[in-house]
Amino acid sequence: MKRILLFFWLFICFAGICRGETTLQQAEELYRQGKFSAALSVYENELKKTPNDPHLYYNIGNCYFKMGSKGLAAANYYRAFELAPRDADIRHNLTLSLAAGGERLVPSGMPVILHQAFFYLSYAELKGLFFVLLWLFCALASIWLIKRKFGKMLLASAVILAISGGWFYIRHTLQQQHLAVIAVPVAEIRSGPGTNFPASASAAQGHLVTIQDDKDEWYEVIVKSQGIKGWVEKSAVEQI
Amino acid sequence: MKRVILSFLLLSLTAFAAAQVSVVARVNKTALTLDDELTLSVEVNGAAGNMLMPELPSLPAFNVYSREIRQSTINGNSSTVFRYILLPRFVGKATIGAIRFTHNGKTYKTDPITVSIYRNAQGVQKSQPASSAAKASSNGNYDSAAVKRPRETADPNLPPLERNLANQAYARGDENYFLVAAVNDENPYVNQSVTLAVRFYYNRSFYDAPYQKPAVSNIFMEEMGSSQGTQSIGGVLYRYEEQRYQLTAPSAGKATIGPATVRYMTGSSPFSALDRLFGGSAVSAEETARSAPITLTVRPVPSAGKPKTFYGAVGTGYTITAEADHTQVEAGEAVTLSVTVKGPGNLKSTSDLEIPALDGFKSYPSQAVSDTTTSGGKTEGYKIFKTALVPAASGIYTIPSIKWSYFDPESNTYKTIHTNPITLQVSPSTKTDSGFDFGAAASTTNGFQTLGKDIAYLKTTLRPDISVLEKVSAWRLINWIMLVILGVSILFASVGRKSLAQKRAYATARGLLKKAQSDEAVAEAVSGYLQQKMKISTGSLPLKGIVASLHKHGVTPATSEAFSLLWQRLDTARFAPGAPDAQNGQELASQALDILKLLEEESK
Repeated sequence: MKRILLFFWLFICFAGICRGETTLQQAEELYRQGKFSAALSVYENELKKTPNDPHLYYNIGNCYFKMGSKGLAAANYYRAFELAPRDADIRHNLTLSLAAGGERLVPSGMPVILHQAFFYLSYAELKGLFFVLLWLFCALASIWLIKRKFGKMLLASAVILAISGGWFYIRHTLQQQHLAVIAVPVAEIRSGPGTNFPASASAAQGHLVTIQDDKDEWYEVIVKSQGIKGWVEKSAVEQI
Repeated sequence: MKRVILSFLLLSLTAFAAAQVSVVARVNKTALTLDDELTLSVEVNGAAGNMLMPELPSLPAFNVYSREIRQSTINGNSSTVFRYILLPRFVGKATIGAIRFTHNGKTYKTDPITVSIYRNAQGVQKSQPASSAAKASSNGNYDSAAVKRPRETADPNLPPLERNLANQAYARGDENYFLVAAVNDENPYVNQSVTLAVRFYYNRSFYDAPYQKPAVSNIFMEEMGSSQGTQSIGGVLYRYEEQRYQLTAPSAGKATIGPATVRYMTGSSPFSALDRLFGGSAVSAEETARSAPITLTVRPVPSAGKPKTFYGAVGTGYTITAEADHTQVEAGEAVTLSVTVKGPGNLKSTSDLEIPALDGFKSYPSQAVSDTTTSGGKTEGYKIFKTALVPAASGIYTIPSIKWSYFDPESNTYKTIHTNPITLQVSPSTKTDSGFDFGAAASTTNGFQTLGKDIAYLKTTLRPDISVLEKVSAWRLINWIMLVILGVSILFASVGRKSLAQKRAYATARGLLKKAQSDEAVAEAVSGYLQQKMKISTGSLPLKGIVASLHKHGVTPATSEAFSLLWQRLDTARFAPGAPDAQNGQELASQALDILKLLEEESK
């Protein structure tokens, strides 16, 4: 009986893996044929089954990019980047899609290597690292308190924990920003939440904005690269 | 005598001829607009020799524009026509009073003629049935017999344009020459093709008939060609000359088609031998046939459901094709992509097709070409959009299908058509130093070329397993566990450590005493016990103070006395040392162990 159950379980797992692969192959075939919209639908359906997969976000970004929606492409690349920041392809495509909107992934003046180091770990990985270091520190501190041993190791772990804590705090602060991308060809930035307020600027798709406030169908945003603040329609931006 | 007789005969003939003089005044029309000309003809028959000009009455409603005299003699009957071109000045009824003509001392008068002057042609048309009686006697365009013709109507199964033309012709079948105009749809959509037909009907000969096409406003007009035909109207066979136009209105609202005109002359040619012989003309005055103006009400196309690929075309049966002049090229060579849209109507006023940017190609769109062609009575418009595509790198590329939408007025829906995809095979460039740069390539000196930037290819698998650190980030419970451990450690370090030392004081001292080989070792073990167990510092207190502390901890006086003796012995050993004696040391240690056991038992 146990053997039958085991065989059944293995069959289910194998079938699931094969189905996933086949779906991705179908999407890839559609992509290669230039049917980007159809491929996009497949990837979006797959994302519902496998949420937070950076490869799916990346592929969705590729489809949007090929369809000319650079803003939506950038939003999806950004999601993929946050999940897998060491992936060179994701970094390349995100840089390219942001450049289409006049934005930069690496802030002006910052060495690329420093940016890569800062984003070497994903937010979740950094959190995990912080936890591990915290546990190590707690263990060493406990030993030291009881046995008065490993004092130097405790000191070293305290320093490393403080550094990683600072790193994690900055990344957490960035994570808490409501980052969004202009997703329509041109979004009008108005002085208030309504079309009765005059438009003070327009932003092309692909521009990064941070959402400050929310009122009815409008977001108050700051266009990071320009340093201007205003209101845009919710339908014009894609939250990351 | 002969001369006398001849003179008499001549006088008699002259008198007879004078008696046969008749003067008739005619106008070419009795209803006209302010823009029309009125031809007044005074025909004098039977008069010969020198003649005076007829004496026109006062004509306050007209300006006399020109005068003309034509004389002719047919079969010995002389006829003189005095023709006046009158330009109307005021709207309303105008009467041309009796015209006086004096010949050989005798004055002849014509009958007064009343004409109606209207502001525009519509008024003229409305007045025509009522004035048909006047027409019968006024000029040669009307046939009095035709008035009695039965009124016909067109076959209702005819196409709208043909039916409209035929009905107009039947309505004017009492005229020998007339011009009608009609459209196949008076309520078209913006950019919808409308056919305008202008027909000049006649059942008698004419010559020298210049045609003036109608003036239009808010509408484009293209000639579609001309044709001839015949039509029976009231049993009379009419011939007609037809000119067709294709109309398209670029914007919604009213669009007007002004009247078309034909200026014709009836009768024989002015250059006939008879005319040349007698220096006159057998033709009538110049007449003008005019069609009624037409007003179109142009509707906008519905905004609901309008596709993004709608560029303004309205009609039925459009087609779209795409063609590349080469399907195998080298990188850097241009391929011309031609997209051709064909269909009814004029595509000139539609917006240009936006060919989407193709990845891997530089696009250089050129001006669209648009025109119309007519064959088999049907006019078809076409528009060709050409774009030069320059592939940056080798590979197999697919130009995707291009969509184009139009509004179908028959089904009142938008329809979208598309081209077929085109596959291009691009081989690597063999022209490494052509000196020609399409802008995509940036050459370098080491033989490496950057041809452009594109996004990286798809990920073909899902993400591998998540990293350990990522997994760890979910283990929040461990954080609390570790923090609790730390807290416990801190608590232990601050309180428990001392308590434990106190508990373990006797065991520690016992261990030391068992190993002790000298008095000093015994003294240290006892001091340590007192320090750990009772916090009694033996170094700073005298023996009395130590004993007092022991009493405080509940030690009995007997035990205290025993401790005093032991402590004194240890002091002696410490401050007056002799030769070390292992046997004495063990004996002292054994004694100290017994006393400490008592202290352990008695102390609180």
